[in-house]
Amino acid sequence: MAERGDRGGFGRGFGGRGGGEGGGRGRGRGERRGGRRGNKSEEEKWVPVTKLGRLVKSNNITSIEQIYLHSLPVKEHQIIDTLLKGLKDEVMKITPVQKQTRAGQRTRFKAFVVVGDGDGHVGLGVKCAKEVATAIRGAIILAKLSVIPVRRGYWGNKIGLPHTVPCKVTGKCGSVTVRMVPAPRGAGIVAARVPKKVLQFAGIEDVFTSSRGSTKTLGNFVKATFDCLMKTYGFLTPDFWTETRFSNSPYQQYTDLLSKPTTKALLPPTEEPLQAEA
Amino acid sequence: MGEVILGMPGQWAHDYREKADHYTSKIGGLPDWPDLDIPVSGKLLLCDLCGGKLCLMAQIYAPLSMAERSIDERVIYVLGCMKKDCGSNPQSWRVLRLQRCKQDIESKDEPLKAEQPEEESTSVAEDKPTSQSSSVKVCDDEDSDSDIDLDDLAQALEQAATLASNSKKQDGTKHTRKIVEGPVAKKLIYDLTTPVLPCFYIYSQRNSSEGRMDKANFVGGSSISLKEIEKSSGNESEGESWEGEAYEYDKALGADRTYLKFKKQLDAYPEQCFRYSYGGNALFPVANVPKPGACKICGSARRFELQLMPPLLYFLQEASDDSSNFSIDGWTWLTIIIFTCPKNCCSGTCDEKSGNSCRCIVEEEAIVIQDD
Repeated sequence: MAERGDRGGFGRGFGGRGGGEGGGRGRGRGERRGGRRGNKSEEEKWVPVTKLGRLVKSNNITSIEQIYLHSLPVKEHQIIDTLLKGLKDEVMKITPVQKQTRAGQRTRFKAFVVVGDGDGHVGLGVKCAKEVATAIRGAIILAKLSVIPVRRGYWGNKIGLPHTVPCKVTGKCGSVTVRMVPAPRGAGIVAARVPKKVLQFAGIEDVFTSSRGSTKTLGNFVKATFDCLMKTYGFLTPDFWTETRFSNSPYQQYTDLLSKPTTKALLPPTEEPLQAEA
Repeated sequence: MGEVILGMPGQWAHDYREKADHYTSKIGGLPDWPDLDIPVSGKLLLCDLCGGKLCLMAQIYAPLSMAERSIDERVIYVLGCMKKDCGSNPQSWRVLRLQRCKQDIESKDEPLKAEQPEEESTSVAEDKPTSQSSSVKVCDDEDSDSDIDLDDLAQALEQAATLASNSKKQDGTKHTRKIVEGPVAKKLIYDLTTPVLPCFYIYSQRNSSEGRMDKANFVGGSSISLKEIEKSSGNESEGESWEGEAYEYDKALGADRTYLKFKKQLDAYPEQCFRYSYGGNALFPVANVPKPGACKICGSARRFELQLMPPLLYFLQEASDDSSNFSIDGWTWLTIIIFTCPKNCCSGTCDEKSGNSCRCIVEEEAIVIQDD
């Protein structure tokens, strides 16, 4: 029954209660919608929200490096799913986090998830939620939103593929600082268990690390490692001394392309009205 | 009052210029003006910045039922400019609220009703729709009939070309209508100078409770199982312990907490084209949003009514790939929030003469939030 009183009439205009919600008859008629909703929950098509998402969905952007080149913020995790296919994820830790209330303690779970493809892309996500599954799901999404490129370089001879960090870098979070130092091939990742995982996902094969601060707070430890990896591409090495040739950001590139007048002009369909009235 | 109604995409129009009536809610196409005493002035349909013609972005039939009076003939038109430079400038958007202040027996523009019952604010007549519009009013007082009315209502909605189906939406031209009515058949509007967006109709759906959001689809499930977690949590033997963790708000590199909440609401119904919540709260994707101004006529502070959502742009873009002469890519808004006058005031020219119905067009306010 419609409620009187101040109520937006938009729903009433459609008889929204007949259309959308339950009620046996409503469901019977709207079954198509309900059924569709059921199907959708299995494999839902991604409807992009941001401009970057629309460009990725229409395959105008094929590689994630185009996004990194222009430092475009990634706001939808489906973008990363589309562009990076081989992304693996792992939960590093689920810890309960408690808050004291008058009625006792309220426990929520905090999940740390690291995603990476083992070849230069890694992301870290942290999420608190009331249930473990929700926390993990949310953390995976946040990790995908935070995927960064990792620069690898050589310790000495430049033969083969890059295998270690290009230079000494250090990252900090809270009181923990992590320092990564290039290592020769075969050294492996010389780090504590927790940051080692992050470095493996990043695709770094050999590195010496040194940490300082209260590394017992492993949340900060992991974030410091991640911060350190972020800085690998921020470090200006002589390779970057040449002048940058700036290119158009994907936003401009595709707007210009599509705003050119198309060859097909919008001509009035002069024949059609006659047929409609015939 | 706080409930949110979502506008979900329905069927595509056969022709983007086809004529509906002002009881239909649709996106794109040409605006359907009801019969007006004074036609809509040209100035309202021109862009403030470039002077070109505005195109209709959304036409939403939004009747109101308030305690004192009900306004059944109330339509909101959202107009925007498609030129490249104007698209990102919020001044190029215009929102018009068109309403009829008094109900009139001799009104000419309700071709659907066989007879013209006198409209009062306390009882609303039931009407069987016979055409594609959705101007159905439901009787509130009769319990026994209300069930049947819902049936007819739902049937009407289906017949009113507001059915939704993902696959059908894409090939809208293949879907034949069940009913083609005489007076309101699909005529074309011969207005060839106005730019036209691809047109599709809207059906409304209630925003269901939070439970759905938790089950909101999670594509590409993770490779983790809960059992593994419990196993790994037993490996505490190495002297590591995760101490000192406190609650942390969601944060990602490119997205902050406000945006993530916005996205979460969107993920519950990924196809929502707009959110309607008269007097409710808007969903802001960014934290600092300018406050709406005051109504120019009565001076009261404007209130949120509806907001347009990004999937709308996606659908329009999909449809306009081949046939558009202007580009929609100039639009990069994340949401357009529309505020209207809470008193639904008129432009002052209509008086309380009995038996006189007047239609007013009032310009309302739209706040455009850009996607950086």
